[in-house]
Amino acid sequence: MNRDLIAGAVLLAIAGAYYVSIGTIADSTLSDEVGAAGLPLALAGLLALIALVMMARAVLATRAARRAGGPVAAVEDDEEGDASVPRALGLLLIGAAYVVLLPYAGYVLSVALLIAAVAFYEGAARSWVIPAAAIGGAALYWAIFVKLLGVHQPAGILVQGWLS
Amino acid sequence: MALVTTFWDIVHLLTGTPLFLVAILGLTWGILGGALPGISASITMALVLPFTYTMDPAMAIALLACVYIGAEYGGSIPAILIRTPGTNSSAATVIDGYEMNRQGRAGEALGISLMSGVIGSLFGLLMLAMLTEPLSWLALAFKPTSYFALGILGLSVIASMGGDSLLKGLAAAVIGLMIATVGTDPISGVTRFTFGVPDLLSGIEPVVVMVGLFALTELMSQSGSTSVTQLGNSIRIRLPGWEMMRTLRRSQIIGCILGLFEGLTPGGGGSVAAFMSYNEARRWSKTPEKFGKGSEEGIAAPETANNTVASTALIPLLSFGIPSSNSTAVLLGGLLMHGLLPGPRLFEQNPQVIDSLYVGSLIAIIAQIGVGVIILPACVWMVNRPRPYRSGFIFALILSGLYTLNNSTFDLGLALALGLVGYFMRLARFPVLPMILGVVLGHMVESSYRRSLVLSGGDFHIFVEDPIAVGLLGAALLFVTFSLAREYREARRTKLQEAHQ
Repeated sequence: MNRDLIAGAVLLAIAGAYYVSIGTIADSTLSDEVGAAGLPLALAGLLALIALVMMARAVLATRAARRAGGPVAAVEDDEEGDASVPRALGLLLIGAAYVVLLPYAGYVLSVALLIAAVAFYEGAARSWVIPAAAIGGAALYWAIFVKLLGVHQPAGILVQGWLS
Repeated sequence: MALVTTFWDIVHLLTGTPLFLVAILGLTWGILGGALPGISASITMALVLPFTYTMDPAMAIALLACVYIGAEYGGSIPAILIRTPGTNSSAATVIDGYEMNRQGRAGEALGISLMSGVIGSLFGLLMLAMLTEPLSWLALAFKPTSYFALGILGLSVIASMGGDSLLKGLAAAVIGLMIATVGTDPISGVTRFTFGVPDLLSGIEPVVVMVGLFALTELMSQSGSTSVTQLGNSIRIRLPGWEMMRTLRRSQIIGCILGLFEGLTPGGGGSVAAFMSYNEARRWSKTPEKFGKGSEEGIAAPETANNTVASTALIPLLSFGIPSSNSTAVLLGGLLMHGLLPGPRLFEQNPQVIDSLYVGSLIAIIAQIGVGVIILPACVWMVNRPRPYRSGFIFALILSGLYTLNNSTFDLGLALALGLVGYFMRLARFPVLPMILGVVLGHMVESSYRRSLVLSGGDFHIFVEDPIAVGLLGAALLFVTFSLAREYREARRTKLQEAHQ
């Protein structure tokens, strides 16, 4: 299946899910002629229309290319791009782990672990440099955000419990 | 003694005002960010956006503008030194910049880039100061119908010029508008698509969307990349002398003129201006044969143009609230984050914001000559850091900065989810700018549309009774039609070429 056909199907699914969710919008006596659900309804319809046109165009383009017996590379998958998907998702998972860890481990420890994990994941050589960069980076960001900018960052439930 | 007192007064005035520091910090961050390959001007601005949340609005906007100015110059550093443009708009600089580097004239190329950038920025700032306020008064004639039409025009232009497919651009814009509907309805006050999550009651902040779609997507796309960039540590900038500046005069004028027009055109942007200026400079040059072989004019024209755009792109933004590029969309996000609405009221009610923007930009442009020279070793050092560590530090900076918005991990999770969306959009070749613009303009489009219908008692004729709205909607239709025609022509040309082969 070519990429535009998949993209069209995904857009159609988004339009469908959005349309279903419109049902959760409550009616209001303060509502105007259009209502709170007015624009969302129009957007759901518009996205569904775009998705259907995109899918139709993708099918027609593939058929035309096959009928002509010419190259269909333009409408087929980008293997190089697909191969990098698991790597990119892995990086995102590290970010998600940071979000989960932050309230428990606190800012300093979480940032240090984040820097170390990303550096290791991205292929940094196993050496003392990884922990050194992680500790240095965490100290630098703590100084900038907490001390300099006065931003309240989580101290960490586990860290606080351990300290007390 | 009096002289000493005056001197210290000047020093106090310059160092005592936060604007000076803000301008220098913004400029420095912009140059450093722009110099990192893959980190565009908009990403550099998006990274600093969360920090501005707690700042004074005037300082916040000045900081973002100075980051933009710095990033436009910073992008030329790797373009000249390693044939990799730091930002899209410095892609044209690669052609002759890298060639000069190969000839052992890297310092000279960087100096020409720096000075041309300063000239372009100064011209752009002058145009910004002269044109923005008069244009913004046009907005006084705008009714809710006109604002609705303006929003639709902005979305149509960006959707039709943002990528290789109009449909994809439109789909992205619609998804952006869908995201903007999350939260509390602006008219009736009922909640929409919040699913019982309190963090969604006030909607999804454009900053979170921008950081997710620009910065996190880029980080994910670079993941696993094995490209190694190493710069020589001994590079020093050589500023051009008067004689050289006279030689470059023609190409710099071309860069200024095209930069002005491209900045005013929605969807134009620095990269289009840079390439057009390069071509025109070659056409008007006394030595066109030198272009592509290390021509000084080949650096001066695109660098003047993209730096001019960095200022002139703010004209449609500040006058009408229509961003013409990724970077100006981030700046609009900054304005909205501080409750500032572009247009004549911004000039009337918040003149200090405009003053800070102009004066901060002026300080940054002038300081660019000194900072550009001083900071080059730091740029070289940063570009030479191993990518795994660079990614770790940037990821930590993004997540730390986002947390400062609402002290909420929910924003972090949302940004990560949007990063994933942006990554798949990139794989499927969907442009992200229409989506961001949808989020940013969504509130204006919906509330203007509904206010118009409230005024007309539900009669849709109100949209054709307002000549401004008719003109703007007509222009939107024209953009979409031209874009469709262009796509059709390109598809036909490709088909003919394939048949010929």
